[in-house]
Amino acid sequence: MSFELALVWESLPKIVEGMGLTIELLVLSLVVGTALAVGLVLMRISGIAVLEWTAFVYTYIFRGTPMLVQLFIIYHGLAQFEAIRDSFLWVFLREPFWCAILAFSLNVAAYTAEILRGGIQGVDRGLHEAGRALGLKTHQRFLYITAPIAIRLSLPAYGNEIISLLKGTALVSLITMYDITGVARTIVAKTFAPYEIFVSAAIVYLCLTWLIQRGIGLAERRFGRYVRR
Amino acid sequence: MPADSGEPIIVLDQVTKSFGGFQALKGVSLNVVRGHKVVVCGPSGSGKSTMIRCINRLEEHNGGRIVVDGIELTASIKNIDAVRREVGMVFQQFNLFPHLTAVENLMLAPRLVRKISKKEARALAMQYLERVHIPEQADKYPAQLSGGQQQRVAIARSLCMKPQIMLFDEPTSALDPEMIKEVLDVMGELAQEGMTMIVVTHEMGFARSVADLVVFMDKGEIVEQAPPAEFFARPRSDRTRAFLGQILKH
Amino acid sequence: MGVVVEWLDAFLWGALVVLRVFFVALIFTVVWGLIGASAKLSDSAIARGIANAYTTVLRGTPELLVLLIVYFGSAVTLTGIAKLVDPSVKFVHIPPFWAGSLAISFIVGAYATETFRGAFLGVDRGQVEAARALGLTPAQTFFYVRLPQMWRLALPAFGNHMNSLIKDTALLSVIGVEEIVYVADRATTMTNKPFTMYLVVAIIYLGFVSVIIKTVAVLEVYANRHLDRAR
Repeated sequence: MSFELALVWESLPKIVEGMGLTIELLVLSLVVGTALAVGLVLMRISGIAVLEWTAFVYTYIFRGTPMLVQLFIIYHGLAQFEAIRDSFLWVFLREPFWCAILAFSLNVAAYTAEILRGGIQGVDRGLHEAGRALGLKTHQRFLYITAPIAIRLSLPAYGNEIISLLKGTALVSLITMYDITGVARTIVAKTFAPYEIFVSAAIVYLCLTWLIQRGIGLAERRFGRYVRR
Repeated sequence: MPADSGEPIIVLDQVTKSFGGFQALKGVSLNVVRGHKVVVCGPSGSGKSTMIRCINRLEEHNGGRIVVDGIELTASIKNIDAVRREVGMVFQQFNLFPHLTAVENLMLAPRLVRKISKKEARALAMQYLERVHIPEQADKYPAQLSGGQQQRVAIARSLCMKPQIMLFDEPTSALDPEMIKEVLDVMGELAQEGMTMIVVTHEMGFARSVADLVVFMDKGEIVEQAPPAEFFARPRSDRTRAFLGQILKH
Repeated sequence: MGVVVEWLDAFLWGALVVLRVFFVALIFTVVWGLIGASAKLSDSAIARGIANAYTTVLRGTPELLVLLIVYFGSAVTLTGIAKLVDPSVKFVHIPPFWAGSLAISFIVGAYATETFRGAFLGVDRGQVEAARALGLTPAQTFFYVRLPQMWRLALPAFGNHMNSLIKDTALLSVIGVEEIVYVADRATTMTNKPFTMYLVVAIIYLGFVSVIIKTVAVLEVYANRHLDRAR
């Protein structure tokens, strides 16, 4: 019942070892997912009904189901199909790591696409018209006017999404991987000291969250330098 | 109640009030006789609103005494409640409850504070909506009413608590010009019925025809107070003359 | 799809468990949200500090970890207490259903405190003044004037919180709550059809989320009815 600080000190180094995997998962999924999100947004604003509809359905499905279920469908589920087990993809898809990257990327793409779309919608219509009056072409208006402003408007929500993803990576401990949470769970299984170990793990996550918030704060200042007075 | 019985229902004695470093009231003294109508005017930031907000303790005064109908305003919650039962207030921005219909706005306080039944409250509310001439708007929400109608509902809402005193904080300032008259008319009727009223307003026509006393405030002080005939004909202070010159030009 | 039919009953019961967890957690979420928002708006620096710490910690800790801390942590504590009374006791725990419901309400409640705080700030100050001038007590002002106005402002964000709540229920199989992921897990070992079974889970969640989205949209129309200018 008592809280043993010594146990925290002993386990922290081991938990920090799991941090490497957590960060790998976070960064890789974020990069892939954000790239997919840009594609999805372009589909949503393309003006072509089929693309718009496809992107909408994709977003709706991935935002409407738990990430845990998405992860399990990919990790446990795909093995159901012989075609997949026989294909070259199996080299990746039998690895929990790549399954996690795939699931997280697809998930992040859906949320980030919505965030970016919100940002684009937040750009003043008048700026668009001004661009047109100056003779800029559609893609020029998008690249030089809409996109930079939309990115600034999207940044705070994107920061929250990164933190969400960081927290989501803990799910890999359920598919045999040893990230921060995975390591913590094995230590708890040995010591049965859930408070000390899990709280230590939480502290590590909180530090990472803090770093992400700092990073986003800096990015907001960079992109919003013309907003400040 | 005879208008000039001389018995003061509100006494302000050297009242001071400051917000942080800013002194909004610098020792204000005023006696209001039961049944009298007092119009308070002055430039913005002169402390008019602060003074009447102190009377029902929306602001807490820092020094001096405020006595309302024999009850001194202290930190005692009992006294504050007692005073608020006696004093109704009408705001510049109406402050109607947007989620309640007009009649529900009137029924809320009688039901919660005076604990009367829903049926009685509704009857009472309708009676007062008729007094302000808009019973047909009873079931509309504030957003569906014009500004003038909203302010009349707000007046009726205060009257439902049967106050002895009504405070008006610039009741027509937020209204379009064509709606000012309907609100002033209702206030005039109320005045004829003998209600004690303190009205912060720049409507000098109203002051001339209704007020027993006109008070001019500037920079947190009462500069001058006099019956309207005297106030408008022979203002004593330069500041009063300057102010009147400005607003009567229009 | 034939295999699904055999497990339909089990999925139905699992879905019912999801709903029960959802509604219990929803109530707690509102409670934490309102308490936290009141604390954040209070004059007491201590109350504000506690509420802010609550939000910061719960927003930065993985949902899974919160669940594990609440369930196993409480179990260790309760077992410890029980052993003081009766040394022969082996293991005492909060039933997984309750531990799980509480855990996800803590998580989403942290977000709700912010939503409610913003909504309370969105209610005009004049409303409180008018209520006070009419003689309403602070409690009456809260329940009859502030609360009915703030929920309209909180609704869109709160809809998202409800979606988070329902999706977080998927974690509860980890501590042995027999919800639909748990059912799919069991069904998989029996049938060896993991894709099919987890797809059913996904479809059920998609259904729940769609109902929540629709409900919130209807509620928003209802909540804003008094703002329609009917002229």
